[in-house]
Amino acid sequence: MAKRLVLRMDYCIGCRSCEAACQSRFKHEARVRYAEVTPDAYFPLSCRHCAEPLCMAACPFEVIRKDPDTGIVSRSSFHCVGCRSCVLACPFGVMDTYLLRSTSQKCNLCSDRAGGPRCAASCPTGALQYVEESELKEVKTGVGIAARSVHWRRP
Amino acid sequence: METRKTTCPFCLNGCTSAVVFDGYQYRMEYPSEAEVNRGRLCPRGNSASIVIDHPKRLAYPLLDGRAISWDEAANLVRGWRAAVRPEQVALVYSRGRGEDEVRRLFGLAREIGTKHVVCGHIEPENALGCRLEGTKDATLADVEFAKAMLLVGDVFNTSPVAVWRMLDARYADRKNRLVVIDSVRTRQSGFAHSFIQVRPGTEPLAMVALAALLDKNIKADLDKLATAAGVARGQLEAAAAMLAPAVPGFVGVAAHFGRVFHPLLHSLAGQLVAKAAGKPFVGFRETSLPPGGEDFTALRAALKAGEVRLLFWTGGMYPDSYAEVFPEAARAEYRVATSIFVPDPPVPGLVLPVTAELERAATASTYWGPASREPLAPPLSGSRDFGRVVELLGTAAEADLPARVEHKPAAVVEMAHKAAGLKRGGEGVLLLGEKKAIGLRGFYEPEDRLALNPTDAGSLGVDGDSFVRVTSPVGARDFGVLVSGQIPAGTATVGTNVHENRALFPLAVDEVSGMTTVAPVNVKIEKLASRVQAPSEHAPDRRGARYMLH
Ligand code: SF4
Ligand code: SF4
Ligand code: SF4
Repeated sequence: MAKRLVLRMDYCIGCRSCEAACQSRFKHEARVRYAEVTPDAYFPLSCRHCAEPLCMAACPFEVIRKDPDTGIVSRSSFHCVGCRSCVLACPFGVMDTYLLRSTSQKCNLCSDRAGGPRCAASCPTGALQYVEESELKEVKTGVGIAARSVHWRRP
Repeated sequence: METRKTTCPFCLNGCTSAVVFDGYQYRMEYPSEAEVNRGRLCPRGNSASIVIDHPKRLAYPLLDGRAISWDEAANLVRGWRAAVRPEQVALVYSRGRGEDEVRRLFGLAREIGTKHVVCGHIEPENALGCRLEGTKDATLADVEFAKAMLLVGDVFNTSPVAVWRMLDARYADRKNRLVVIDSVRTRQSGFAHSFIQVRPGTEPLAMVALAALLDKNIKADLDKLATAAGVARGQLEAAAAMLAPAVPGFVGVAAHFGRVFHPLLHSLAGQLVAKAAGKPFVGFRETSLPPGGEDFTALRAALKAGEVRLLFWTGGMYPDSYAEVFPEAARAEYRVATSIFVPDPPVPGLVLPVTAELERAATASTYWGPASREPLAPPLSGSRDFGRVVELLGTAAEADLPARVEHKPAAVVEMAHKAAGLKRGGEGVLLLGEKKAIGLRGFYEPEDRLALNPTDAGSLGVDGDSFVRVTSPVGARDFGVLVSGQIPAGTATVGTNVHENRALFPLAVDEVSGMTTVAPVNVKIEKLASRVQAPSEHAPDRRGARYMLH
């Protein structure tokens, strides 16, 4: 069963612990980042693991794939050449190139950690949760992470 | 792979944090069974693994920035000690030193025969450890089942993990109430049912006024206090009704670097309003140091007068972050400091590498009671345990600490009246410190933006793409601009985790208590023609930057 990352906006205090947890694991690649809608309204922004990922379609080297079981869209760091096609293709602007290694960064929902994504584990208020898709309705005030036209808060 | 757990040392919430060592590097882990935090950690807590294997950890003694051996260092310290008279030695303890270690320093001071044993943690938050007669400490259950809460200052950024119980309590019932008092419209204030925005630094005046409304036995000049704080009396009355003594809840107070003029009054006023509202109190802060020792203000005077020749400083801030803000230190001929990071730029004197808090066992005091702290990693090779460093100066056993003073409610009201009568003003914009839980010493953010009110931004002719130079009486730094309605007109805010920003705030002496503190400061802001600082996009190697903690 697929699991989803869900943000309860009414619990998010904008502390950026999600970003810090991601950076602390992936060393400077904050794969969850902080978006700023206005200077007074910000929230974490991460990959939606789209049903039909545009990043995957755009990648000329086919190094992005979607796991049919978990729904996780992941990218092979080894094969990525850093051409930025996926960065341009993603409609949510969540991809970015990590220039130090000349590859694009890509959230893989911490597939290396049994307990699930670190951002959700770390979130101080429980605003960010990693839940079964079937439980989504039960996250009472849940607003799935979805927003367009956000501009980045400078890292 | 081995997981090691400990109690996070970066604030007093006492979260259980953990690291896994995979044979190559340390990684954070989030043990979900912990009662206090259920695995949750704030950005500061998340930087534990970075601290442990940081490339700038200090692994050898430094003399004037040059590496020397421990033997040479030991000989120097003994020689310096012999060269000065006992009363010319000053021992300063600061953030990172535990109660047993401070007792050891008091023993050492007695053995040496000096009266200078001083707490050097001069952040306003340290005053939150001062006690008002009859204050009751809050428990986790008080927070969890609260129906009325008063938060003063940015508690959400001081101890983010303590917040989920507050939000759960806030949302548990439509009738539950959250009152926030602050000078800046923080994100926390967005969760409040009543947000009382006061003039910068006048939080205690609003608190004392609130206390007088809640308890008729507290006699205070309500109108004078409300006017000085810049709030309408009606708003205070409405808040007092929400916080009525019959409703269970708590009062939580935070005090930030560069936001408070009167630290002692700030703390006692919080406890007074808690007492008047029949609620327990919690002082949200990053560290708790045993009180006692001569006042820091007196130490500065003694240094200036040349009465102190050997300065031994152990724990946070000096030499790294206080080197500029504490210029009197340079008056001591012989300086010995302990540090876990290489000071950058190098500082004169001797700097000795000590074991990090994350590498030693201790009993931690937290808001919710004592917790045990286990080492997350073995001590860095080359560093020495605090006890062995102290042995260089003497062999004393631990001594008792001076007893805590219990302040009286009447004295608090008197202090508030005095503070309300003080005139403030001055040229330029008032620079305030902004508390952000972003990780030690700017681990996850360079804090290179100055937040300005739209009106001030307009009169300076700047917008979000501009760059400005901020000049304070003690320093200057260039910033990008963030225009935000959260910031009151006539003020500007900067984050205070990074050293460059802290160095803009001079040490100030509180007119009400005589304590040395770091208060808001008037600064000059000029628009710059172009970007002067290097852009910090894509997170350059900030891990090579300098750090706030010792
Ligand atoms: S860690 Fe949680 S509360 Fe903090 S910014 Fe991320 S989602 Fe929001
Ligand atoms: S990177 Fe963008 S396009 Fe690709 S799966 Fe994630 S949200 Fe969809
Ligand atoms: S809230 Fe305090 S104790 Fe908890 S992780 Fe953050 S700094 Fe550490």
